[in-house]
Amino acid sequence: MKGAEVISKLSTILNGEELIVSSNGNVSRQVYHLLQGDHIYLRGSMGLPVPIGLGLALAQPNRTVLVITGDGNFLMGLSAMTTVAHVQPENLKIIVLDNEIYATTGGQNTVSSTIDYITMIQGMGINNSRSFDMSDSDHLISEILKDTTREQGLNVLHLKVEEDTIILDNIPHHPIDIKENFVNRLL
Amino acid sequence: MIESADFLSYLTDNGYTFSTGVPCSYFRDLLIDLEKDDRFTYLPATREDEAMGIATGYFLGAGKTFLIMQNSGLANIGDALTSLTQLYKIPLLMFVSYRGLEPDRDFPEHIIMGDVTKSVLDAYQIPYWVIEEHNWKNVLDNALEIMEELSKPVCILVKKGVLSD
Ligand SMILES: Cc1ncc(C[n+]2csc(CCOP(=O)(O)OP(=O)(O)O)c2C)c(N)n1
Ligand SMILES: [Mg+2]
Repeated sequence: MKGAEVISKLSTILNGEELIVSSNGNVSRQVYHLLQGDHIYLRGSMGLPVPIGLGLALAQPNRTVLVITGDGNFLMGLSAMTTVAHVQPENLKIIVLDNEIYATTGGQNTVSSTIDYITMIQGMGINNSRSFDMSDSDHLISEILKDTTREQGLNVLHLKVEEDTIILDNIPHHPIDIKENFVNRLL
Repeated sequence: MIESADFLSYLTDNGYTFSTGVPCSYFRDLLIDLEKDDRFTYLPATREDEAMGIATGYFLGAGKTFLIMQNSGLANIGDALTSLTQLYKIPLLMFVSYRGLEPDRDFPEHIIMGDVTKSVLDAYQIPYWVIEEHNWKNVLDNALEIMEELSKPVCILVKKGVLSD
């Protein structure tokens, strides 16, 4: 299963109230094109989707905040996960789409293949995390995504995914409009 | 030295209840009072760019954040200033220590950043002011006005002895 297919699947599971932060590059394009609603599509600030999701979760404690991030972004901002673990925001969910590469810049390897994500995340102090290898089987993706997005409490979902073959179009909005649309949504 | 109590009251009067950052000894006294003040939540970040990310998310969720960092941290937030906070027009109040000036002559690790602090802020197109004990309220009033008007981060440089002994 590819990252874009996981994101597509999410459209049947989300209730439309979730606030999503997506990491720069392909992941933001996929979230923009494949999911409904106005979300925070990051176009730069590689490494920062997790802290941005944390700040948003703290400011909007009654909304579910979902961070959807590539592995390269997740690893660049890894230490922010220790802050997340320290704060334990109940309403924050983090999905790592791990294709083991920087797909957006041409598929160069990340160091993801040698990491034991669950041990690492647990060691930071986050008890509720799951990891599934979606690259050779589809497991029960709907169930997995339901558990992550609907369950109470902070949780992290790590999914090994296959490299995407279709590159979606660029997001047709300037970040100023992305921000305005999102801010207006919360009014 | 500016009294922390006056300084923190000024910030609550202006709608700030949330703060994050990475400490500098120039903020030691302020941080002691900030951390024990029930009106505020101060979240210790592991890096300055992370703090800027948290502040951005908090702003997008309809909150206001002030940031605390050492000027060495300016070197960690270049991308957050260019491809996040200025790109998405996020207003942020940054308190940045101004290390590497005369009182830091025994701290060579701060000298180069001290020399280039203003040039770095100019290069990143971030408006900045230096506050002193006698002018801080006026300077902050003006900085907040410009922050709102431009909807971007603004930087308050804090020299030794201004917010901590
Ligand atoms: C600070 C910084 N360094 C490098 C880049 C170039 N860059 C853009 S997207 C990207 C890859 C992101 O990788 P990942 O989060 O795994 O997402 P994927 O591309 O695999 O979907 C890189 C390296 C950047 N935008 N910013
Ligand atoms: Mg990747």
